[in-house]
Amino acid sequence: MYRKSILALLTIWCLSLFAPVANAQDADLQAIIQKFATSKNFNQTKAIVTELAETGDASVAGVLNALSDGSVYFRKSDNQVFVVPGSGKTLELFDPLTGEAAGEAGKRDLKKVKVNNALRRSIRDAIGGLTLASENPSVRLTAANTLAANPDVEALPAIEAALERETDDTVAKRLRQAQASAILISDRSLEDKTNAVNVMTALGNREALAFLTRFEAQADGELKTLAARAITKIEKNLKLWGMGQNVWYGVSLGSVLLLAAIGLAITFGVMGVINMAHGEMVMLGAYTTYLVQEIIRNSMPELMDWSLLIALPLAFMVSALVGLVLERGVIRFLYGRPLETLLATWGVSLILQQAVRTLFGPSNQEVSNPSWMSGAFELGQITITWNRLYILIFALCVFAVLLWAFNKTSLGLQMRAVTQNRRMASAMGIRTPWVDALTFMLGSGIAGIAGVALSQIDNVSPNLGQSYIIDSFMVVVFGGVGNLWGTLVGALSLGVFNKFLEPYAGAVLGKILVLVFIILFIQKKPRGLFALKGRAIET
Amino acid sequence: MTDKTNSLLYLDGVSVSFDGFKAINNLSLVLQQGEMRAIIGPNGAGKTTMMDIMTGKTRPDTGDVIFDGEIDLTSHDEADIATMGIGRKFQKPTVFEGHTVEDNIALALAGSRGIMATLFHRRSEAGEGRIRQILDTIRLSHLRGNTAGNLSHGQKQWLEIGMLLAQDPKLLLVDEPVAGMTDSETEATASLLRDIAEDHSVIVVEHDMGFVRELDVKVTCLHEGSVLSEGSLDHVSADPKVIEVYLGR
Amino acid sequence: MILTHFLKKGLTWPITLTILIILAIAVAVPFSNLYLDPAHPLHVPNHLVGLFGKYLTYALLALALDLVWGYCGILSLGHGAFFALGGYAMGMYLMRQIGSRGVYGDPVLPDFMVFLNWQELPWFWYGFDQFWFAALMIILVPGGLAFIFGWFAFRSRVTGVYLSIITQAMTYALLLAFFRNDMGFGGNNGLTDFKDILGYDIQASTTRAGLFSASAIALALGVLITAAITGSQFGKLMIAVRDAESRTRFLGYRPEMVKLFAFVVSAIMAGIAGALYVPQVGIINPGEFAPANSIEVVVWTAVGGRGTIIGPIIGALVVNGGKSWFTGAFPEYWLFALGGLFVLVTLLLPKGIVGTVRDGWAKLRPAKQAPIESDTTQKPADQANSQPQAAE
Repeated sequence: MYRKSILALLTIWCLSLFAPVANAQDADLQAIIQKFATSKNFNQTKAIVTELAETGDASVAGVLNALSDGSVYFRKSDNQVFVVPGSGKTLELFDPLTGEAAGEAGKRDLKKVKVNNALRRSIRDAIGGLTLASENPSVRLTAANTLAANPDVEALPAIEAALERETDDTVAKRLRQAQASAILISDRSLEDKTNAVNVMTALGNREALAFLTRFEAQADGELKTLAARAITKIEKNLKLWGMGQNVWYGVSLGSVLLLAAIGLAITFGVMGVINMAHGEMVMLGAYTTYLVQEIIRNSMPELMDWSLLIALPLAFMVSALVGLVLERGVIRFLYGRPLETLLATWGVSLILQQAVRTLFGPSNQEVSNPSWMSGAFELGQITITWNRLYILIFALCVFAVLLWAFNKTSLGLQMRAVTQNRRMASAMGIRTPWVDALTFMLGSGIAGIAGVALSQIDNVSPNLGQSYIIDSFMVVVFGGVGNLWGTLVGALSLGVFNKFLEPYAGAVLGKILVLVFIILFIQKKPRGLFALKGRAIET
Repeated sequence: MTDKTNSLLYLDGVSVSFDGFKAINNLSLVLQQGEMRAIIGPNGAGKTTMMDIMTGKTRPDTGDVIFDGEIDLTSHDEADIATMGIGRKFQKPTVFEGHTVEDNIALALAGSRGIMATLFHRRSEAGEGRIRQILDTIRLSHLRGNTAGNLSHGQKQWLEIGMLLAQDPKLLLVDEPVAGMTDSETEATASLLRDIAEDHSVIVVEHDMGFVRELDVKVTCLHEGSVLSEGSLDHVSADPKVIEVYLGR
Repeated sequence: MILTHFLKKGLTWPITLTILIILAIAVAVPFSNLYLDPAHPLHVPNHLVGLFGKYLTYALLALALDLVWGYCGILSLGHGAFFALGGYAMGMYLMRQIGSRGVYGDPVLPDFMVFLNWQELPWFWYGFDQFWFAALMIILVPGGLAFIFGWFAFRSRVTGVYLSIITQAMTYALLLAFFRNDMGFGGNNGLTDFKDILGYDIQASTTRAGLFSASAIALALGVLITAAITGSQFGKLMIAVRDAESRTRFLGYRPEMVKLFAFVVSAIMAGIAGALYVPQVGIINPGEFAPANSIEVVVWTAVGGRGTIIGPIIGALVVNGGKSWFTGAFPEYWLFALGGLFVLVTLLLPKGIVGTVRDGWAKLRPAKQAPIESDTTQKPADQANSQPQAAE
């Protein structure tokens, strides 16, 4: 907890360094800061801190923060105050107000301004109050977060003042939480506290729950029952939100499964080719992304945000090309012999893995998230990371395009014709070998672009593909072979099912249970969820 | 109702559909003990599906399928029905291509089908005699040790009929036995089937009208999953409905 | 009486010869290791005894797979699971034999349980201090799993590729399960640090020689039983099921039962192979459940020639010999070689070494293939089927 708040404070400091500083007041501020050098005891130091805080100028947050960390020193020779973040014999000095470098000094020439825990608390309050006044909303948000996490009665006036002028909804919400928690531990009236409990209930987040639980343990009388009621209510709400979060995790996992399986839905589902090297097609896509990023990083770093969009067509081409070679070189000799196809493509998967391992080494390669994919946002109590959201959208787009290509284009028509009746299709002038090759290329290429997406959330290593191959087959078989919609429903439902098992069974056991479930399911319905029925299928 | 108990096979109001397509639609058919019946009908009339139902491969959605007066076939699977005495020859000749002609017959030979029985099986003198007799009947004695996969199409058809005989069923279902046969082979097959029909009940599905004429038995014409016409071949081929959907084209 | 007839049926001359060769090896290798002077050109050093012993257990595993794949058409991608289960059963016995000689010196609990702060032995470890019980489990656990799995899979008519994929999922699920510490099988590290087996020091060269002989004898027995099964009427039925499953059903057979029997027998053979493997390599860990291991067994069988009895044995020896040489000489390239082997065998050598050689032999001497017609005794029929054909 303590470490966390330090981190938060550091952030504030860093941010405040870039905040606009009013030059006119600098001299006054400097004068106050220099008093640290002459402070005799903690009380005097505290007085100086208070004085600094009362200036209401956010630019002093940096030095206060440094003080709290014990990195404010003064030079013995001239009583100049500096921020000295490093350690060692010779130390780098920084100006306490502007943060500019101010030369070096030997350790012996400096003396530390001492602080204790009581002082640290006052400093924190002071900073909280100061940064709440900052013009930068994200600085205010961090301050509000700190105050909400560490409720403090003394900060109450500052919080209330800040609340009155706050315009940003998110910051205001956090401030209200800080206010409510502070009120509950203050000696304010019962009415105020009742209101505070209600505010907390309305906020209904985990932090509020934790605080109320602590509060309830030491409260008595009316407030205790009130808090208890609030706790149950929040818990119930949080459970619902938790369920929502689980659904999101499940859908997100489902989208990953969908991406991994969708190419297989074509090669296995439509063509009936068991491609055990499918996972390696995904891996090739991920390595293409890695290469694209490497080139961009070295020659045109300004394109980094576009790296994924550049990688998509390349990954498609790389995997499709490997798929073409695989189909023409191996698989076409094995049509109608699924078990042999399985073995040969397994061999190809070993070769591809080892080739990548020889070229790039066995370790994980670093693929970075473009800025627009990093970070997260909150929907109620559900945290949604941007990369997962984009992957879901991307998976659905790929699915939609594929569905369209399959049902509405002439290539799709030819593919379906060849799968349903090869000889008839051939007699009608469709060049079946060509269609086979194209279909397989399409399936492989889609595995490649899945690799681009998966490089964002998984380790890019030669084993990347292996971890998806069994899952992908399970999805396709579960959803029903030869049915794209089945693959969609199969992937999403398996994802959600998996994530709902996890809290009860743990991640590994959950996965095992899902596998066992699918094994039993296949035995009950060998043709999957959306099975085609009829005489032709049986023979 | 007398029909039901006296007949060998009794189908009443049988329907089955695949994804909305009615392959068999309210089909009723009665076969007497010892009778041979020819089934004709255009492609997609439901002939093969009908056999699938009789042998337990496909379960009808509705209707009764009663064998030997009392056995409800819809509640049994293929193996059960085969041991009860219904043998089937497939449209496309299906023999065990990796085995010799002799082994094909030996596997079909009536006897216990259990695991231990087959593990510790020793062929008896009677069994040996029966194999020789069947091979003679289907005229494959000289090919006894040959791999079945190397037989000609017609020989495979005959081998499969031989396997049916070895099963010694009460009822034989024979699906297009003369497809791909020369005229003389067709003739020989017809006489073979007539011999078999002397002590077995037989249902033959066939397109070849010459062959059906040679069998000289009662004919049922199927169309869109139900009986269109039934009677002697002359009666059926004179039926205007039959002419319209089948013969007249 | 029936049993001797059953076993005799399998004993055609190639099989008898194979069994005799294996038995000769069972005697010769330990003899040369123990009694010949190390300088003698025919002396087999200790590490080779261990290595060859390991190969023999692999050969038995490949033979087990061949029984279901080559003869019955069930391509199991999870046979490594049965091997590993047999191995774990043996490993549990060996762990209990350590007694108080473990690092923590607990008289009952194996080291890893003490390390995990377990207070008492889990119930499924009871009885493993007795060899007879462990031996029973080596048969019952793989056989039982195969029975349950096969019962569901074959009865619901899951066939072909679907079956292959769910067998792979089965071994994958077991892999994940055995990696968990709280399963009680040593988690990631598995079972190791064995001290002795049946009272003999497991490191002693005499014990290792004995384990080698036991592996060879087990393989010889495996050959005998496989030959007897495939040579019987049941064997013909297995091939019939492989080639035309639904046809057998219309003859009144129950192919699911045929497959179930073959699957269970095969799983037991694989379990015994695993049980002999573990004391020779000195460790069993969850890695043995990895799907890749099971698929490797498939390639041994394919290289040697499935649907033959000698094929899988030759395949296992050749591929593993090659692997040992390769990983010594060019460790980087072994996976290329193995991957290439998969592709080449399926494309160019679908019948494997033995199948191809036999077909070539038959072409050279067409007279031999002519059927004997007049003979009505059983002999010719048996001989004609002693070497069943590979799948089409």
